[in-house]
Amino acid sequence: MVDAASTTATTGSGAYAEAQVSADALGRGEPAWLVRSREEAARAFAATPMPTPALRPWKYTELSGLDIESFAPDAAFAPLVIASVPTGGFAGSIAGALDDAAQAGAVEAAFGSVVQGTEGKFVAANAARWSGGVFVHALRGGVFATPVTVDVRAGGGAIFPRMLVIAEANSEVTIIVRNRSTAAPLLVAGVVEIVAAEGARVRLLLDGDWGAATDEFTTVRSRVGRNADVQVASLAIGGHMQKQHIEALIEGEGANSLIRGIALGDGDQHFDFVTLQDHMGAKSTSDVEIKSALAGASRSVYYGVTRVETTAKGAAANQQNRNLLLSDHAKADSDPVLEILTSDVIRCGHGATVGPVDGEALFYLQSRGLDRRSALKLLVAGFFASVLGDAAFAALADDMQERVERKLAVAAL
Amino acid sequence: MSKTSEPILEIRDLKVSITDKPAIQIIKGIDLMIRAGEVHTIMGPNGSGKSTLASTIAGSPVYTVDSGEIRYKGCDITHAKADERARDGVFLSFQYPTVIPGVTMVNFMREALKARRGAEVPAREFLGELRETLAQLKMGEEFARRYVNDGFSGGEKKRAEILQMGLLKPDLAILDETDSGLDVDALRTVAEGVNALRRPEMGILLITHYERILNYIHPDFVHILVAGRIVRSGDASLAQEIEAEGYDPILKALGLLEGAAAS
Ligand SMILES: Nc1ncnc2c1ncn2[C@@H]1O[C@H](COP(=O)(O)OP(=O)(O)OP(=O)(O)O)[C@@H](O)[C@H]1O
Ligand SMILES: [Mg+2]
Repeated sequence: MVDAASTTATTGSGAYAEAQVSADALGRGEPAWLVRSREEAARAFAATPMPTPALRPWKYTELSGLDIESFAPDAAFAPLVIASVPTGGFAGSIAGALDDAAQAGAVEAAFGSVVQGTEGKFVAANAARWSGGVFVHALRGGVFATPVTVDVRAGGGAIFPRMLVIAEANSEVTIIVRNRSTAAPLLVAGVVEIVAAEGARVRLLLDGDWGAATDEFTTVRSRVGRNADVQVASLAIGGHMQKQHIEALIEGEGANSLIRGIALGDGDQHFDFVTLQDHMGAKSTSDVEIKSALAGASRSVYYGVTRVETTAKGAAANQQNRNLLLSDHAKADSDPVLEILTSDVIRCGHGATVGPVDGEALFYLQSRGLDRRSALKLLVAGFFASVLGDAAFAALADDMQERVERKLAVAAL
Repeated sequence: MSKTSEPILEIRDLKVSITDKPAIQIIKGIDLMIRAGEVHTIMGPNGSGKSTLASTIAGSPVYTVDSGEIRYKGCDITHAKADERARDGVFLSFQYPTVIPGVTMVNFMREALKARRGAEVPAREFLGELRETLAQLKMGEEFARRYVNDGFSGGEKKRAEILQMGLLKPDLAILDETDSGLDVDALRTVAEGVNALRRPEMGILLITHYERILNYIHPDFVHILVAGRIVRSGDASLAQEIEAEGYDPILKALGLLEGAAAS
C-alpha cells in the first residue's frame, strides 16, 4: 500500500477525526441529523480496529499494510448521475435531495437504516466522510424506463461513494454504477443501501473497472419486502483489490434476492466476495452465483452465508461459487455456508469448485487449430456464459464480453 | 490414387507412452504410410491402441512419443503442437467428442475456421458455408446455436465432428470410430458427407470396428492393430475376414490368445 501524500490541513488522521468531520459537514450546510450521523460514525471509526483475518469474512484478505488515514479524502468527489426520472421520482445527489422538500424526508428516514454507520471500520469511514452521495427514489408504481447510470471517475486519495435506493411498492428501477479510476493509489470505501418495498423490482449492476492501484471495500445491503425482487450483479475486472460484501435481508413473504458476480483476475489482483442471504420471509427465495477466472498470480476469495431463519418457512435458496484457475500461480478460496434454522425449506443448495482448465476441452479446441490463448479465451467465455447471459447483467453484456476478451488477450495464462 | 502420389502421413517405428505414466507404453512400434488420395482403415480389438495412435498424430499432450517419427506432408511434426498440426490440415474426429459448456458451436467453428485459414472469415461467408454443411449432413440449424457437444446424442456428436471436418477441409482426416453409434440412415449420411469432402490431395485414416462403413468409404488398405502393433495389413477383404471370423484367428496365429500355441 502506498501512502498518499499528506499535504493539506484535512489529510491524515485529521480528516477522519470527529471534530474535522463535524466542521466539514457544517461547512456544507448539512442538516443536523446528518451531521450527528457523521459524528457518530467518526467516533466508531476511531474506536474500531482494522478487521483482522480472525474475522471470518476477512480471513484471506491481508490488510496489515493498509492505513486508511494515510489516504486523503477527495472532498470534491461526486459521480455523474444520468437518468430519465418518472414523475415524482428522483435520481441525483443526496445533497440535491436534501434541498428538495419532496425528497428530504425520505432520505432522512431511510439513510443509515440498512447499513448502520457504526458497524465496521470501512463502513464507519464511509459514513463519516462520504461525499457525492447518490439518491434514487422510485415512487409507488413508478417505473424508470431506462437504467440510471452512475459514473464514478476517481483520481488518487480516498473516495467514499454512497448510494441510497428507495423503491416503493411495485416500482421498478435499474442502476448501473461504472467504477473507474486513474493509475494513482486510491482507496474506495463504499456503501449502498437498498430498500425495496412490496412488489418492487431493483436491479443494481456494479461495473468494477478501477485503475491498477485501487483498493475497493464496499458494502451493498438490501432490505427486500414482500414479493419484492432485488438483483445485484458485480463485474470485478479492474483494480488491485475489490472486496465487496453483498447482502440481502430477505424480509418479506415471497421476496427474492439474486446475486451474480464475475471476477477476471490477472497479475496480483485480489477479488473478495462476501455474500449474505438472510431469509426471514416465508416462501422467500434467493440465488447466488459467483464465478472467477484467474490468470497470473491473481486470487479470489468467496465466503457466503445462506441463513434461513425460523420464520422463513418454505424458503428456497441456492448458492454457487466456481473458480477457474488459468495459471499455476492463481489461487482461490471458497466457503459457502448454510445455516438453516427451520426444517421447512423447499430446497437449499450450495456448491463450490476450484480447479484448473479442463485439459480435454483445451485439447479439443486446439485440435481444431485454436492456439492455446484463443482456446482459453473461448473456455473462459464459456465458463462465464451462465452468469453473463443472466438478465441481471443484460445491460452490460456485450461490452463486458469485449472487455473480458481484451483482458485475456494480454493476461498471464 | 496412384502409388506415386505424395505421402501425406509417414509414421516410422513409432512408440508412444502415457505422459503421466511413462512406464506404460501403448504404441509399441508402428510404421504406416498414407499417400494423397488413399483411405487406410485400422481395425483392432478394444484397447489395442487405435485411439492412442489417432490422438498422438493429432498432438495430444496426454501421450508422449518415446521414439520414432511422424511426418506430415514431408515435415517432421512429431513434436509440433496440436494447434499447429490442425492449422496445417490435420483433423481428428474424436471417438468421444468433448462437451464444452457455455461455448456455442457457431462461435467455436468460426474461431476454428479463422485459425485454419489464418484470417478473419467474413460473417456472411462463414454462415453460408455453415448452412451448406449443416444441410449436407442433414443437421438442423439449431445445432449451431447449441453448446459444443452439450447434450448431443451419440449420433449427433459424430455428425457434429464431420460438420467441423466439412468446414475445416483437412488434408489428413483421422476418423476414430465415427461410425459407432450411428443408425443406418445416419451412417449413410455421414459417410456420404465424408465422401463429398474427399479431394485427391487428401488422406484418410479410418478407425472402425465394423465393415459396414467400408461399403461407403472404400479403403485402399486395412491394418489390424493388436497390442500396439500393426500385425497384419491387407486390402478391403481383410475387413470382411474380421467381420466374419473376429480377431481370434489372428490372435491365435500370434500366440496372443490364451491357451493357444504360437504358430
Ligand atoms: N490416458 C490414459 N491413461 C491410462 N491408460 C490409458 C490412457 N490412454 C489409453 N490408455 C490405455 O491404453 C490402451 C489403449 O487405449 P486406446 O483408447 O488407444 O484403445 P482403442 O484401441 O482405441 O480401444 P477402443 O476400441 O475400445 O476404442 C487401453 O488399455 C487404455 O486403457
Ligand atoms: Mg478407441
